[in-house]
Amino acid sequence: MKANETTKKAAAGRFKVGDRVKVKDMPNMFYTRTQNYVRGAVGTIAACTYQDLIPEDEAFNFDGKLEQYYIVRFRQKDLWEEYPFDNDTLQTETPEHWLEPVGK
Amino acid sequence: MAPRPELHQQYDIIASFQPALHAPQTWNYENAPPLFRAYMHPPHDVGGQPDVPIRYEEKEEEQWELNTYVTCEVLGWKGLWNAEERRRRADNDLGYTLYMGMPYYGRWIWAAARMLVDKKHISLNELLDKIAEVKARHEGK
Repeated sequence: MKANETTKKAAAGRFKVGDRVKVKDMPNMFYTRTQNYVRGAVGTIAACTYQDLIPEDEAFNFDGKLEQYYIVRFRQKDLWEEYPFDNDTLQTETPEHWLEPVGK
Repeated sequence: MAPRPELHQQYDIIASFQPALHAPQTWNYENAPPLFRAYMHPPHDVGGQPDVPIRYEEKEEEQWELNTYVTCEVLGWKGLWNAEERRRRADNDLGYTLYMGMPYYGRWIWAAARMLVDKKHISLNELLDKIAEVKARHEGK
């Protein structure tokens, strides 16, 4: 089978649009697509996108499981406290592995 | 043999890549210090870091850039690597100095060559011989 093909199915995603989530502050090692500046930040699920291998698996051709990807929206002020505009937001995409729920 | 002035010029350029401050570090192994996180930070995660303003230029790709893109995509269709492995190699594995110094598609072709050698599709000396052969052919034109 080619490196970029997969026959697996992912479990149903645990988050839905509007859920508050926190990005896990995992160690950095060798490869990631989860930016350093969102680690530990709380945001809101803006969209459930697709299911795919997670970058840390795919980058090393590890035959891992599929995961749901989400677009997470953060307030810029929550990422950079000196940011001057209250209403500006930043969106980034991350697989479920990196997210944990935040209590209401 | 490369002329000595060229060799010394290369060494001077390499010296300019080195950090200005060569302070011996005192590592605290029990509580990972900010220094450790900074060293382990993947080079391609540049968001939030300070940089100088750059001039935006509308520019077409060079022929070698298009050739590089197609070569890397064909290697993907052949199943030799996937897009994430390409990013890992071209954006992380090459290290900060090359990441900051090489042009965008220079990093792609570096990663493709490294992948082909790593996975034993070609030997390093086969690659070097071919590069030297092509270089000589172009210089003879």
